[in-house]
Amino acid sequence: MTLLLTLPALLLLALVFAVPLLRYGWLSFHADSVITGLQPVPNGGANWLRLIEDERFWQDTVQTLRFAGLSVALELLVGLALALLLHHSWRGRTALRTITLLPWALPTAVMALGWRWIFNDPYGPINALVQALGLPALPFLSSPASTWLVVVLADVWKTTPFVALLLLAGLQSIPTDLYEAFALEGGTPAQALRRITLPLLLPYAFLAVLFRLAQALGVFDLVQILTGGGPAGSTETLALYSYLSAMRFLDFGYSATVMLGMFVLLLGLTAVLLLGRRWLAGGRA
Amino acid sequence: MSGVQRPQGLVLEGLERRVGSNLVLDGLNLSVAPGECLALLGPSGCGKTTTLRLIAGLDQPSAGRIRLDGDDITRQPPSRREVGMVFQSYALYPHLTVERNLSLGMELRGLPRERIAAQISSVLELLQLEPQRRRRPAELSGGQRQRVALARALVRQPRLFLLDEPMSNLDAQLREDLRAELRLLLCGGPQPVVYVTHDQQEAMGLADRIAVLHQGRLQQIGSPRELYDQPANLFVAGFIGRPRINVLPAEAGCIRAVRPEHLEPLAEGGLPARVLLREWQGASQLLQLETPHGRWRMVCDGRVELAESFGLGWPPARELRFEAGSGRRLH
Repeated sequence: MTLLLTLPALLLLALVFAVPLLRYGWLSFHADSVITGLQPVPNGGANWLRLIEDERFWQDTVQTLRFAGLSVALELLVGLALALLLHHSWRGRTALRTITLLPWALPTAVMALGWRWIFNDPYGPINALVQALGLPALPFLSSPASTWLVVVLADVWKTTPFVALLLLAGLQSIPTDLYEAFALEGGTPAQALRRITLPLLLPYAFLAVLFRLAQALGVFDLVQILTGGGPAGSTETLALYSYLSAMRFLDFGYSATVMLGMFVLLLGLTAVLLLGRRWLAGGRA
Repeated sequence: MSGVQRPQGLVLEGLERRVGSNLVLDGLNLSVAPGECLALLGPSGCGKTTTLRLIAGLDQPSAGRIRLDGDDITRQPPSRREVGMVFQSYALYPHLTVERNLSLGMELRGLPRERIAAQISSVLELLQLEPQRRRRPAELSGGQRQRVALARALVRQPRLFLLDEPMSNLDAQLREDLRAELRLLLCGGPQPVVYVTHDQQEAMGLADRIAVLHQGRLQQIGSPRELYDQPANLFVAGFIGRPRINVLPAEAGCIRAVRPEHLEPLAEGGLPARVLLREWQGASQLLQLETPHGRWRMVCDGRVELAESFGLGWPPARELRFEAGSGRRLH
């Protein structure tokens, strides 16, 4: 009976998740490119061997992790500050709530175009400002060393509201009398933040990190439109590499392999996170 | 230094609280001596919890003063009042063990580790919570949680105990057991105790004196016995004593009332009454009677066999008289 009732959901999951995954798995053991006339030809583990020796793959892995790590960390910090601000009642809170949510409501492609214009060298408003101060225009989008930070900034701007919203829900689930009891025992508001708010917010923060990390590790549209992976591949991510392999180089077998490599990476990170949470929960018991 | 003796205990002087245009508490005066247990009793919305929150410093009064052992604490922040409070919801920290729930306050105040450990152990033992010391609130029963809340108030050795309906979330049997425990633990110590409840039985069982509040005003303050025997007005007479007092219609500016336990069946004459319902309670029985003045309640010995209809009488000395307009008791 239980099986019967969960069958529709299971079927749907199988259709949208298991089937593509299995198909990718199958494809990653085939050559399927222009050379094979776009027909899948089994090639053993050649794709996987190539992946392990592919410097571009490893460079993109580092760049993807660097992007995801920094943006999720910043989103968590800024999101927490925003959530705390929105939790306490003050004049203008409703207005701020609306403004805060706007970036989240905007399509990524639109906002990526916006940022590309803002940081345009030399015509964007930021460089106009820089030049008005008498400084030379800065290569925001053409410096291999620092352009990835602009991508981080755009991502933080867009997705912080999501983190703030999750954390706000968490804040509102904490009963006020805990703070009253704490104040009666001599605790200051700063101590309450550390001793009550943050520990009780931890499960919500975990959820936010899990969601955001999964999204950030698979980031595609933002990078594609803002920088196209450049300059010199310095902002290319794994998802973009997989897309290019398939759509520009027409190497579908290898594209599937890159995608699966990313999947394994994500799986490993999630496992570490979940284990970390269990360890933390155990440590507090 | 000076020879003047400072007044001990808690004193409220003309305490008032307005929320918008709403007068929640209207000029409350009362005092609680060291070691005395005062119950604030009244229906919901009467201002009893407001009073408690003002004493704790969680809300600010619009007017009036609060003194503790002679010090004016009206404007002091809650953290400096040294108050041990038990919340209706218990307000236990869900992420901390029983032990850490108790120690957190003392850690904040920077007490030495050994002293914290010693104090916690003695309180846990006193409240028989030793086996639960490493559990978290979610793993405790309702009664255990209540005792942890109590322990947390006790362990800080406060100058004053405040309890906000601490037993309203417990079942009847547990409530009875804890009532005795609470009385032994809190009352008779050096601190004044203020206990908020809407349960008159609880108030009568626990308190040395009861303050009855209604619509933000103090109706009467006195020992449980005074409140029962000499209620200041019709409201107190109706609120104290279960089952409720029976009230006769106003006659020449006077309302007479008789408690159910003072009614007796007469051989002849009296107020005609017909039995509607009979609730047998072991030693006693509770009767719902239909009389010319509406539904009356009567309590008598459980073994008495009564007819379906009989005449009701009562000793004139047991009758209470109230002024028709104001509801004040007439002497």
